[in-house]
Amino acid sequence: MNDDARTDGGTASETDPGAAAGALSGVDGYRVFLYLGLFGMLAFFLVPIESGLVTSFKTSGGVSGSFPFTPPTGSTFTFGKWGTAFDALGRGLVNSALYAIPATVISALLGSFAAYGITQSNWKPKYKAPILALFVAGIFIPYQAVLVPLAQFWSTVPLEESLSFLWGLGINDDYTGIIKLIVTHVAYGLPICTVLFRSYYKNMSEEMIEAARLDGASIRRIYRRIVLPLSGPMFAVVLIYQFTQIWNDLLFTLVLVQTESSAAAPIVLILAGLGTSLEGQDFALRMAGAFIAALPTLAVYIAFGEEFAEGVAT
Amino acid sequence: MGTLELDGVTKVFPDGDGEVVAVDDVDIEMRDGEFLVVVGPSGCGKSTTLRMVAGLETISSGEIRLTGKHINDVKPQHRDIAMVFQSYALYPHMTVRENMAFGLEESTDLSDDEIDERVTDATGTMGIAELLDRKPSDLSGGQRQRVALGRAIVRDPEVFLMDEPLSNLDAKLRSEMRTELQRLQDELDVTTMYVTHDQTEAMTMGDRIAILDAGELQQVATPLECYHEPANRFVAGFIGDPSMNFFDVRRDGDTLVGSVFDYPLSASTLDDVGDVTDLILGIRPEDISLAGDATGEHTFSTVAEVVEPMGDENTVYIRFEDAPEGETFIATVGGLQQVAAGDEITVEIPEKTIHLFDGTTGKAVHNRELDE
Repeated sequence: MNDDARTDGGTASETDPGAAAGALSGVDGYRVFLYLGLFGMLAFFLVPIESGLVTSFKTSGGVSGSFPFTPPTGSTFTFGKWGTAFDALGRGLVNSALYAIPATVISALLGSFAAYGITQSNWKPKYKAPILALFVAGIFIPYQAVLVPLAQFWSTVPLEESLSFLWGLGINDDYTGIIKLIVTHVAYGLPICTVLFRSYYKNMSEEMIEAARLDGASIRRIYRRIVLPLSGPMFAVVLIYQFTQIWNDLLFTLVLVQTESSAAAPIVLILAGLGTSLEGQDFALRMAGAFIAALPTLAVYIAFGEEFAEGVAT
Repeated sequence: MGTLELDGVTKVFPDGDGEVVAVDDVDIEMRDGEFLVVVGPSGCGKSTTLRMVAGLETISSGEIRLTGKHINDVKPQHRDIAMVFQSYALYPHMTVRENMAFGLEESTDLSDDEIDERVTDATGTMGIAELLDRKPSDLSGGQRQRVALGRAIVRDPEVFLMDEPLSNLDAKLRSEMRTELQRLQDELDVTTMYVTHDQTEAMTMGDRIAILDAGELQQVATPLECYHEPANRFVAGFIGDPSMNFFDVRRDGDTLVGSVFDYPLSASTLDDVGDVTDLILGIRPEDISLAGDATGEHTFSTVAEVVEPMGDENTVYIRFEDAPEGETFIATVGGLQQVAAGDEITVEIPEKTIHLFDGTTGKAVHNRELDE
């Protein structure tokens, strides 16, 4: 019905401008509201990002003299804030990568091992169930609840003394914080990684695993030659998820590294204090910093995007 | 190559608080190079039996011996058994070559060259040489089936296990593969245990058939023995298509009395029956023939209700004249004999072709006579 009306109206308006009213009558009121609503939501979600981006290119005067979402004009445009932010955050980028990459990879691998154990191995279900229950419970432990025990735990571990040979090589002993962060993030990421991999392995063909067993492969060989090569899409999901979590986490860095002046300060810790001073906030600098801090996670999404979509779909 | 013996093999699954007996005290002995088809309706325990032989299920009680060696506790990877799965279970990330080489790499110390040679040989046997570098996702169902078989053959195991390997193929391909499998098994002469629910496959492929129902072994015999000398009512009804007709009858003196017909028995048949009075009369559809008139002892007036022409023969659903509508039995008659629905026809049920089963136990008390 509506399609017919629109076609008629369209033809009429081409041939006879006087029939334009007829063309409008063919427009579906529902669609008008639908598109208005959709564009409204698009603007709602994009304006903060757009504001952040344009603000990061403004001089301090430009920030105070214009709306946050208006682009900088010739005199208020500058790359200077990005340069300053990069200088301030550069070491933080390196420090963050130092723990985020190993922690992501290790937690994904261990999660995959654990999930393989509780799905494909021939342990009795009555032994598998409590282990799985522990993993699931682990997902629901809030970070805030474990901060104090975490700090106490690390204070009892003589990590700094046992790594003294490293400090002898001229490495700043603040870097024990990085090692603590790796171990902590692996421990707290393991439950969700395991549960994600478990759902993936549950859907794997049981007959295929059985075929491999009959082909003479041991449980380790089956993992290495069959299960691991087929886990690509789920690794993409877990790597993206874990990397984003670990890279963006501020709480553990506050507890384990503590100060932005530390040589091992991660980017989130430096970012927290960036552009803040007694004279007030440098919004442009803070925005530029935020974008720099977000770039690595964006890169990871782009790198694993295709596998991610496949893994989420399964 | 080897012999395979199942001795009192039982599998019990826990089910809530109780237990379910999936396989109950099964004894089977397979000689070297034998092709045994295990057949039965779904849920009869045939796949479980196969999986116990493979080592994929534990054995609740009983013993499995491979060439005289007790293998109950041997892990599947050390049993020297190759299995073909219904779903083919190919490794999707590997090429055909890698799929076939996998088993040899994992279970033997052969060099890469030897493995390559054996894989090439096996692909030649299976006619899949040109597919070697393709992945399973690029293959058709029939080709995947061949790769799955090739993967088993290349291992050169003592025993092949096949779990409904043809059930995912279309009808034409299935009958082709059936012939080919038989040829292969003949050529390789490897002891093979083949599970299917399809009685046609069982009849045509096996040296012997083992029929299972509700976890219990009903009969192990050659296909023709199962067909002509069924051990019980279940086997008689399961083997043969269309299946055997059964009538509940009571013996009264020297006559079987059914609900709508009487069937006199000769002295020799009566000897077999003994003193059982509650009986089931069985007759195969092809043993029922059209007769001229209802004068004989074993001829009956009937009405043809439905006729299904198959070309070479007609499947006729008939009922006794006095029986209520819809209560039919099946006869197959020659394709050139003119029978139409609604015709009144006279059929003969010859005494030498009937089977009699004990009405309570189902055991065969009398099987048809066979001309030597």
